Amino acid sequence: MNRNYIFLTILMLVLAVGTLFLTVDDEPNQIDPEELLQEIIQPSRYVTTDQVAKMIIQGDPSLMLIDVRSEDDYAYYSLPGSVNVPLDSLLVSDNLSYLGVPGTKVVFVSNDDIKADQTWVLAKRLGYNSIYVLKGGLNCWMQTIIDPQSPSTDAGYDDYETYTFRKGAQIYFTGAVADDSESDKVDVQVKRRAKSNVAAGGC
Amino acid sequence: MHIHELNPWRTLIALSAFILILVIGFLTMPKPLISYEKTIAESVSALAESEAYFYPWELEDVIANKPDSILLFDIRDNFIYGQGHIPGAENMSANSLTREENIERLKDLRDKGVTIVIYGKDELQANGPWMLFRQVGFNNIKLLLGGYSYYKEHHDDLYSTIDDDAYFKGFARFDFAEMAAPANGVALTNESEDKPLQVQRRQKSDVAAGGC
Repeated sequence: MNRNYIFLTILMLVLAVGTLFLTVDDEPNQIDPEELLQEIIQPSRYVTTDQVAKMIIQGDPSLMLIDVRSEDDYAYYSLPGSVNVPLDSLLVSDNLSYLGVPGTKVVFVSNDDIKADQTWVLAKRLGYNSIYVLKGGLNCWMQTIIDPQSPSTDAGYDDYETYTFRKGAQIYFTGAVADDSESDKVDVQVKRRAKSNVAAGGC
Repeated sequence: MHIHELNPWRTLIALSAFILILVIGFLTMPKPLISYEKTIAESVSALAESEAYFYPWELEDVIANKPDSILLFDIRDNFIYGQGHIPGAENMSANSLTREENIERLKDLRDKGVTIVIYGKDELQANGPWMLFRQVGFNNIKLLLGGYSYYKEHHDDLYSTIDDDAYFKGFARFDFAEMAAPANGVALTNESEDKPLQVQRRQKSDVAAGGC
């Protein structure tokens, strides 16, 4: 037999044996740690309670709330439309199918934001996109939506607008009665512009 | 007559070139700076380890004695760090964490057995980087509970925070169901009981989704 063919055969056998030592990647869709770290340091994953309240009220079909607290906590109180996936059972593939649905935004909810953020990091490592964290969690939800505090008198216009929205959201989520005591007994003072014959200048 | 038999050296030359390319390929393969050392499941269970956290009252000793075995890293921006930080803390802003020299520094400190405590403006800011570093094998990196804001509030008397539980996260601060109950006592019609929740799930598929 030709010596060259023996060489070639030996080489092929060596390479074939080498394939046995290849490690199997168990999580093929995992993103690189460095890429994950880049994602982690971006604060863009946080959504506010106001944004979530607005989406629930408007019936936004793309919103998907995932409650990562325990089953008992979820059974006791949960946000309307949320599903329960405790952090420990996230990896069950059945639960992972909630993530990565095209056209939906998944928002993780927990008592405050730490556990939701931890879930976010793990889900991000698995390569899922369009995932968010409810900033402040349910504690913040209670403080801002369920029991909004009136802004101080020198607060800016934006604060009052936020407050008005939250009051409306409070009625939506709790069925509380709107109090309009302030608007009843105020005399409306109207200032009118003094008439003038000269044309008002200015640019 | 086969072409190999014309020049018996031909195969040998081709073979050595082939092996040479393989060897060069293996030698120059880019080695990632960091790689996962914990699986997802291990990472989940690691979150419950109490030794992965650093408590505010432990800072008392660190600030007073400045031990060599513990190093504080402030991951807030350099500007905010300049406005005030925990005494003895070094600045390594979140944006610079991925830099090669910083990773090398952390590896170096790990090999020396130095415990690293990282903190941000609150616990949340440092939570992500801390989780990632634990997942890639930096088991010496701890998370300061409460973050800088809690330290700032209590920096006069850190030791007494040993009895405080205000910095523990993850607990409900209110009785949610009671608080969200309707004010006039009328039970809200619970819609979720009437109609099943409509949830979208990703379709499982073995075949690659084809285009048209």
